[in-house]
Amino acid sequence: MKRSLSSLLGRTDGWGMPLVVLFIIAGLIELMRPGSFGLEQLALICASAMILVFVATGETIVVMRGGIDLSVGGTLSLASVISATRADLPGLDLLPWLALILGVGFLIGVANALIISLLKLQPFLVTLATWSIVEGIALIVQPSEGGTVPPVWFAWGYSRPFGIPISVLLLMLLMLWWAWFRRTRMANSIRAAGSNERSAYLNRVSLMGTNIAAYGISGVMAALAGFFYATQTGAGSPVVGAQYVLPAIAAVVIGGTSLAGGRGGLTGTITGAFILNLTGTVVFLLKLTSYWQIVAQGAILVLVVITGSIVEARSERSGADR
Amino acid sequence: MNLLEARDITKRFGGIVALDGMHFAAKAGEVHAILGENGAGKSTFIQILSGALVADRGKIMLRGKTVTAHGPGAARRAGIAPVFQELSLISDLTVGENIWFGDEALTPLRMISRRALNARTAALFAELGLDGIAPDRLVRSLSIGQQQLVEIAKGLACDPDILILDEATSALVPHEVDWLLDIARRRADAGKLVLYISHRMGEVRRVADRITVLRNGETVGTAETSAIGDDEIVAMMLGRRLNRLFPERHATATDRTALKASGLSVGHQLKGMDFTLREGEVLGVAGLQGHGQRELFMALAGAVRFGGSLEVWGRPVSIRSPRHALSQGIGVALLPEDRRHQGLLLAKPVRENVVLAALSRLTRFGLIDRQAEADVVSESVSRLQIKVGSPEQLAGTLSGGNQQKVVLAKLLATDARILLFFDPTRGVDVGTKAEIFAMMRDLAASGYAILFYSTDIAELVNVADRVMVLSYGRISATLPADQLSEDRILRATMIGQVAA
Repeated sequence: MKRSLSSLLGRTDGWGMPLVVLFIIAGLIELMRPGSFGLEQLALICASAMILVFVATGETIVVMRGGIDLSVGGTLSLASVISATRADLPGLDLLPWLALILGVGFLIGVANALIISLLKLQPFLVTLATWSIVEGIALIVQPSEGGTVPPVWFAWGYSRPFGIPISVLLLMLLMLWWAWFRRTRMANSIRAAGSNERSAYLNRVSLMGTNIAAYGISGVMAALAGFFYATQTGAGSPVVGAQYVLPAIAAVVIGGTSLAGGRGGLTGTITGAFILNLTGTVVFLLKLTSYWQIVAQGAILVLVVITGSIVEARSERSGADR
Repeated sequence: MNLLEARDITKRFGGIVALDGMHFAAKAGEVHAILGENGAGKSTFIQILSGALVADRGKIMLRGKTVTAHGPGAARRAGIAPVFQELSLISDLTVGENIWFGDEALTPLRMISRRALNARTAALFAELGLDGIAPDRLVRSLSIGQQQLVEIAKGLACDPDILILDEATSALVPHEVDWLLDIARRRADAGKLVLYISHRMGEVRRVADRITVLRNGETVGTAETSAIGDDEIVAMMLGRRLNRLFPERHATATDRTALKASGLSVGHQLKGMDFTLREGEVLGVAGLQGHGQRELFMALAGAVRFGGSLEVWGRPVSIRSPRHALSQGIGVALLPEDRRHQGLLLAKPVRENVVLAALSRLTRFGLIDRQAEADVVSESVSRLQIKVGSPEQLAGTLSGGNQQKVVLAKLLATDARILLFFDPTRGVDVGTKAEIFAMMRDLAASGYAILFYSTDIAELVNVADRVMVLSYGRISATLPADQLSEDRILRATMIGQVAA
């Protein structure tokens, strides 16, 4: 039984284990406060988790490519302040603005990719620098938290197309996108380049092209997170991004994506983001100060990484497939 | 007309010339073997052919036309498919994803159809007569042998005009070797070209129509396989060498055993070795790349875990770490193969490098005794004739030969009396080579015990007291001084393989 469970978990992209953890945490919450997972509650949980989910989504693709993207913090902040300060310009609706904001995120990502590929620099250092640059620009655009998000956007953030809360709908769209993307040539090329750059090159993978795709997606997702933040809070913040950078990387790792690149996927990352989100609820229900959430998140990170490596070692020995 | 022709190909890596104006020609419908010692330039040549490297000079011609495009994609379009010794597989993708990488059938949504991919892979395996590898297995869960088979299948999948097999049989069992030789033969009969790079003379004899021998980046010659004997081939591979490079050798070994290994094993690379190294002896180690010599040296230096038992100066020991290996009572020191990364702190002065491993001896109350340190450094510099401006010169600014002397000085500054020399003359000029050999004999004469691996067989023949030949992680022969010769050793490395 034990063996079959571990081989079953090893068969996934690494998201089997975190899913178990997520259900355990959800079970605990349900025990402490029955009815925590009604439809309305799920919508609320989803809305509060989505910013992290977006950032972590982009981070997942970059980490699969063998890199890391710290600049998402700056991009998120910049997107939120653009949403809160520039949206009163006449003649532009929600969608063109959204496209513009996402375009800015994409360009930041492309800049990261080009610097990393052309100058052959460490992704960590490059994105640390661009994070600082972009966050600085966000502060110049809007020096403090505030601004005004147009009422239409605010309404969009709480809308329910087809009766589905917008955050749940976005989550579903994201998973649909992943179901498609993971089977594309680009996804395989990104995995290949993240797994072994030399082999990938010999297999005709464009190392720069995969970098542009990965960091571009990451920039777009971070910008989307910033926009979503603005529609949820009704304001922009030039410093909010920093709160999400490390949790996003933690969500990726908890979700079973290897920081060494090549393996992993979005299913695990989304699970990881929700695990991190729900620990806040657990801490609240235990009537502890919210600082305990940080402690709990760290503990879960260590726990999941250890169990994950044990499961992996076992499945590797038994030769289990993905 | 020649299907493939290479003219005047030159390739340098830093100061090292890998290919020096070599030329090559092969016809459609033949299996053409390329032979040469380690470092002769075979790998560089096929990497240039397959677009993984770009030549500094010279041109490649296919069917009489010069190839201008570079890169793996261009080579592939030109009909060249390499099967690499070090494998080009992506370990995080499945067998099928690897074989058809970039050529996958796509669904209308431009997704890769896994079912189609696996079916196509299964069909290919059936056609090739390969079984036992599931198309949806992750490559990293396969054994090295299975991975090699997948790499071969991948090369064959695109039905190339030129198939390059680079040591493709190194991880295969005999019936798989038969299978591959049969495929190579059939492709040649069907009018394709197969380039066969191998150290295994038996296989080359069985499959190759013609043989081209490389030495030191140059083409020595091409001959019909049937028209040339093994001795002639070996002579072509070795060439003539000067002998005054080497010191006079007097047997200085005593009866005292410095190191005794029984059943020494490391993973799959080293499969149980028994040998004895005596005080005052230089014991040579020969073997083709990847046959266990690296693991042997790493194990003795404490850098990898090993099985079996070890006695040092008559006492059973287990060596847990390089630090432990250097400790008093054991005293085993390694001169590593990559001195720039494993042997030296390039950005630190010569002084710090020399005393690095001996600091515990030079430390009092947690502080380094500067006078003792200076004594050790100046003594080493004069003893080894290291050419430095001052002990404060940065190690990275020295020439290759002087860097190697600094590493040697570091070893001698410790209490270690068993020295492991792993390819000490790599990238070292001839003059320093001679000094290093003389130093090794002097050290042996003063009671050190030395284990000496070199990729250059002539060095082993002329410096070592005995040579053990490694093949597939086992000792295939141990040759005493009166039986040492280059072709005996070369034969032992190859014969061991044919038997394996």
